[in-house]
Amino acid sequence: MADRARFLENVRHRTRTGRYKPTRAPDSVWTPKGAPVPDPIADPVARFLEELGAVGGHGARVQSLDEARDHVVSLARERGAGALVRWDDEELAGFDAPLAGAGVEVAIWRDLEDFRAVAGLADVGLSTASWAIAETGSLVLESGPGRGRSVTLLPPTYVAVLRAERVLGTVAEAVGKYAGGRLPANVCFHTGPSRSGDIEMSLVTGMHGPGDVHVVVVG
Amino acid sequence: METRKPARERDTTDRRREGIESPVEGFNERGGRAARDEALRGALRLFATKVVPARNATLAALPEAPELRERAYRIKRETMANLDRYLEEMAEAVEARGGSVHFASDGEDVVRYVGELARRRGAKVIAKSKSMATEEIELNRRLEEGYADLGLEIVETDLGEWIAQLAGDTPSHIIGPILHMNAERVAEILSEVAGEELPPDATVLSRFARGRLREKFLTADIGITGANFGVAESGTVVTVTNEGNGRLVTSVPPVHVVVMGIEKMIPRFEDLSVFTRLLARSGTGQKLTVYTNFVTGPRGPGELDGAEEFHLVLLDNGRSNLLGTPFEEALYCIRCGSCLNVCPVYRQTGGHAYGSTYSGPIGAVITPLLKGDEEAKDLPHASSLCGACSETCPVGIPLHDLLLKLRNRQVEEGMAGKTQTAAFKVFENTMKSPALYNISGKLGRAAQRPLVREGTVRPVPGPLRGWTGSRELPPLAPKPFRELWRGGI
Ligand code: SF4
Repeated sequence: MADRARFLENVRHRTRTGRYKPTRAPDSVWTPKGAPVPDPIADPVARFLEELGAVGGHGARVQSLDEARDHVVSLARERGAGALVRWDDEELAGFDAPLAGAGVEVAIWRDLEDFRAVAGLADVGLSTASWAIAETGSLVLESGPGRGRSVTLLPPTYVAVLRAERVLGTVAEAVGKYAGGRLPANVCFHTGPSRSGDIEMSLVTGMHGPGDVHVVVVG
Repeated sequence: METRKPARERDTTDRRREGIESPVEGFNERGGRAARDEALRGALRLFATKVVPARNATLAALPEAPELRERAYRIKRETMANLDRYLEEMAEAVEARGGSVHFASDGEDVVRYVGELARRRGAKVIAKSKSMATEEIELNRRLEEGYADLGLEIVETDLGEWIAQLAGDTPSHIIGPILHMNAERVAEILSEVAGEELPPDATVLSRFARGRLREKFLTADIGITGANFGVAESGTVVTVTNEGNGRLVTSVPPVHVVVMGIEKMIPRFEDLSVFTRLLARSGTGQKLTVYTNFVTGPRGPGELDGAEEFHLVLLDNGRSNLLGTPFEEALYCIRCGSCLNVCPVYRQTGGHAYGSTYSGPIGAVITPLLKGDEEAKDLPHASSLCGACSETCPVGIPLHDLLLKLRNRQVEEGMAGKTQTAAFKVFENTMKSPALYNISGKLGRAAQRPLVREGTVRPVPGPLRGWTGSRELPPLAPKPFRELWRGGI
């Protein structure tokens, strides 16, 4: 504690006694003139799907949760998935039987003996999302009981299902949801497939996280 | 090839020495060597020609960008003026969420804290996500040496950082750590680890790395990250990565340690709407980094993953010396790497020439400030003062003004005589070569237009004359350079 007090006192002393006060703000003539002004977001869901596609993700819009379920089942089939791990979320509960019917073993994120083994071996991770951001094609994922971070990270294919009214316009709106700093242990703005350009700038997807990212918007 | 040892028999000890406390070899020698390296220059060119236009395009499509930049600058200025208060607020918020906080005045302090933590946890494997602060204090090497009895395996998990670590190399760019290596070189390095021949193909090499590093994520006892931002009001630590390694390192291992420079503070969560919008656009030309990850304390009740122990280490290491001085603005940096990409000197020499963790214009400013003028006396001269860095900086740091101030400080300290301006030679040669200089002309930014016309360099006004004409230390400009060119010169 003494260390902390000394550390902070040193910082305080320097900020209080330092004579130099930067006063000049940067000039505001910054971006190129005549830049195209982006259209206001008229249809957030359409814009979200478009932006998600632009970053290499796959989006689909369906009318009902049943349709979303069918979408997920056929995707799991296409990928030849043997195991899927999903969030413990009521909306997704109805997905289990049809998935099992398609030969996919479903693990639910609760009371897992060893989450690393379960999520690490699953072919597909399935979750909902708190919000989506139209402007960037991002999902906003909150951690919590039943909402494992690893589900969205470890399996090579990741699918999120969310309702259309959860799609926000901008990053600023999404950040605004946590204004004042009330956050769960983890929040992530997840934007498309994991990627790397470290080797000669060639784009590789699925670097550490999923390379195959799908979002199904309901409504 | 035939003498390759299996990976587990190889000596993986991290001996890299480029942290802030290690000696800097002259920029002259390194820079000169680098500027003659055609392959390196080609790689640097490729990087800049991909990233700079992407950066320009995404920022151009953000009408509020100039306003955001001004807000970013003001937020950082306000933060630094009250840094003690914000640090305290952050520490209390982290503790309220069940995390631990340690204030470290230097690298040694961090090494001791992490080393003792590793001992207590009986840790064997530490997975790291890219962090400039831990590079700066050479955390890997010092942990391996100072805590040799623990037999720690410390693994960088960012693809480029991992490859650099395997090669015994240091990162040469904030965003592109191994942009100085071609695919053949990477294949050579990874083939050695694989014990078989891997082709120089980015996809194959990345797949191999994914497999190897996945094991590390799953078995790591401790995850260490840096922080892009620390939010005072909530105690939230923000890391951004495209690969997802930052999110993995904070989600899977049972312990998460954050090593964060004290200048990374921002007051409120809402301020992130300013910084996240600027950072990815400036760094890579993306609208948002793939994983913008916010961690607030250890895992909550009922959560299965996320770290059960959360440690925040706040690092000073010379930063507080800058508070309240004319160099304070250097602390506003959000490490986007944009000033490197547009710098004509960096584009000739690459990052290693700077001999320090931080390269490019921000490195030329921050290294002497953290290390001391004597230790890095060449660096303030590793610049043409063209102003491109100040112009591109998303938080409006007047980088070339700071470089001038540093040169001036050298004069005041009586170091002028000792300062060899041969560092300029590297750049001077390119200035004389219209073809080469044209590369920077292509940046197409207003900052350089007054200097470059159809690929030739006009007689250089103001402070530049001082060094293009002779090898003497340039006189200080009566007015900041930026004002000169803004006024039409
Ligand atoms: S000084 Fe500015 S441009 Fe350079 S890395 Fe820092 S924030 Fe980016």
